Amino acid sequence: MALSHAQRTQVWVGVGLYGYLIPILAVPILVVALWSFYDPAVGWFPPDILPRSLSVSAWKEVLADRQIIPTFFLSLFVSTVVTLLTAVLAFPTAWALAQFPFRLKRVVEIFVLAPMIVPGIVVAVSLGEVFFSLKLAGTVFGVILVQTVGTLPLMIRILAATLESIPNELILAARTLGASPRAAVMRIALPLAWPGFMAGGLLNFIASFEEFEKSFMVGAPKVQTLAVRLWAYLGGQILVLPTAAVVTFILLIPMLVIFFVAERVMREDVMAAGLGKL
Amino acid sequence: MSKGINTVRASTIALLLLPGVGYLVLFFGLPLARVVLGSFAGRGKDAPLATLDAWQQLFANPVYLDGLWFSLWLGVAPTLLSLAVSLPLSALMQANESSRRFFGSLYRIPLVVPGIVAAFLVLVMLDRGGMLMRILTPLGLGLPKLVRDPVGLGAILASSWKTIPFMTLIISGSMAAISKDVIAAARTLGASRLVILLRIQLPLARPGITAAVLLSFIGSLGSFVIPNLLGPTYPLPLSVHMWSEGFQKGNWPLVYAMGTLLSVMSIAVLLAYYFLIGFLNRGEAEAQRLGARPRAGASRAPEALNANPA
Repeated sequence: MALSHAQRTQVWVGVGLYGYLIPILAVPILVVALWSFYDPAVGWFPPDILPRSLSVSAWKEVLADRQIIPTFFLSLFVSTVVTLLTAVLAFPTAWALAQFPFRLKRVVEIFVLAPMIVPGIVVAVSLGEVFFSLKLAGTVFGVILVQTVGTLPLMIRILAATLESIPNELILAARTLGASPRAAVMRIALPLAWPGFMAGGLLNFIASFEEFEKSFMVGAPKVQTLAVRLWAYLGGQILVLPTAAVVTFILLIPMLVIFFVAERVMREDVMAAGLGKL
Repeated sequence: MSKGINTVRASTIALLLLPGVGYLVLFFGLPLARVVLGSFAGRGKDAPLATLDAWQQLFANPVYLDGLWFSLWLGVAPTLLSLAVSLPLSALMQANESSRRFFGSLYRIPLVVPGIVAAFLVLVMLDRGGMLMRILTPLGLGLPKLVRDPVGLGAILASSWKTIPFMTLIISGSMAAISKDVIAAARTLGASRLVILLRIQLPLARPGITAAVLLSFIGSLGSFVIPNLLGPTYPLPLSVHMWSEGFQKGNWPLVYAMGTLLSVMSIAVLLAYYFLIGFLNRGEAEAQRLGARPRAGASRAPEALNANPA
C-alpha cells in the first residue's frame, strides 16, 4: 500500500531515531543495570544473554564500603563549591565583556576561550606538579581550584551572552532615575541574568561532578572524587564488573536527575552561546 | 556609543575583569607558560639554562612518535565517525516536530554521562564475553577484538558515544534555524529528501558543522581516561605518556614538550578554522540572504555560529 509523504517521513524518522537510541543508549544502560544485580552464587557467564538469577550483593558490598558514601558527599561538596566559585568569579568579567567596549577586548575573549581549546590534560599535569610543591596536591582545596579552571571559561561566555541580550536602555533608565552603578547592576542586571546563571551553573555542576583528569592529577590518591574512585574500580588489576556497575549507577543517577529536572536548560541556544561562537 | 552616564573608567573595567581573567592567568596562563618554558629546561645539576634535549627525545624515540600519531588518530577518527552519525540524526530530527521533541530530550543523555562511564559501557558491551558477543555467537558470527585492540576501536567508539550528541546538538540547532519555507519550496519543486539534505540543509548548517567538528576533534585529541581504559598497550597516546612520564618517572621536560605539542596542535586547528570560516563567509553571506532566516522563538545557534569571529 502506498504511503503518503508524511507517513513515509514518519517511518524514516522512527527507524532512524530509535535505531540509534535503543542500541546506543538503552541497551548498554540496561546491561550495566543487570551487572549491578549480579548474583555471585550463580554467575553470569557467556553465552547467557540474561542472568539466571539476580542479587543485591554488589549493592550491599559497595554501600558497606566505608569510603563510598563519604566519596559521594565529597563529590557533591566539591561540585557545589566549584559551581558557586565559578559564578562569583565569572559575573564581573562577563559584565565587563558584555557591556563596555574597551581596547584589547578581543584579546581577553580569546584568552577566555583558550582553556576550552588547550587539552585539559596539559593544564592538569602542569598544575599537578606545581600544586605538589605548593602542598596543595591531595587537598580538597587544590581539587576545587583546578576544576574551576575548566568551568570558568564556559560560565563567562554563557553569562556574557545572557548579559549582552539585556537592553542597555534598562540600565541607562535606572541610572537616569538615580540608581548608582552598583545598584543598577545588583537590582537589574543580576536578576535579568538569572537564566544564564541557572544554565551555566547546572552545566558546571555536571562538568565538575564528572571531571576526571584534573581531579585525578591534583587530588589522587588522597582526595578521590566519585569519578576517580570509579577509575580505581575499572583500571585496577582485577576488574570487578558488578562493583563497577554499582559505582557507575551511583555516579550516573545524580547526573540523570539533574538532566531531567533541568532538561530545558540544556537547550541548543545555551550551548551555542557558550560554544558556538568561537 | 553611550557617552556620559554609562561611561566607565579603564580602571573600573580592569577591576571588573580581574576576578575571572586574573584567575585564569594564575591557574591557566602561568601553568601553560610553565609547560612551554619547562619543555626547554635541562635535567640534572649542571644542566644548561635552555636545551632542546626533551624535544630531541620526543622526536627521536619511535615510542613517542607513534604516540603522537595515535593521539591524532584518536582525535580524527571519533570526529569523522560522529559526523557521519550526527548529520543524518540532525536531519531526521527536523522532519517532524513531535518526534523531535521526544528524541531531542533523550539523545542528550550522554552529554551528562562521565567519559569514564562511557568507557565502562563499551567494556560491558564489546569486550570479550560482552553482550554483543553473547548475541552474535549463537548466530554463528564472530567479533574482532574491540577493546585494547591495536587500532583503538573501543576508545574511538567510547569517544564517539560522547561526541555524537554534542555534535548533534550544535548541528541540529543550525538546521532548525533554516527557514521551513525554503525546504517546502524545494519539495514543491520536486526535490527528494536526499537532495534537500545535500543541497539545502548541509550547506546552510555549515558554520555549525565546522564548529562542532573543531570542538570534537580538540576534545578527543587530549582525552586521557578513555584510551587509558580501552586503548591498546602500544601505541599509547601522548596524554597517557604525559601522565606516566611525569608522575611515575619524573621526566618533566619531556612531559612539557608533549604538552606544548598537544597545545600547539589544538591552537593550529583553531587558527585553521578561523581561516576557513573567513574564506567560507564570503560565499556564506550570499547563501544566508537566500535561505537561513532564524525563526522567531527558534534557537539562536546559527546566528551565534555565523557571527564572523574576526
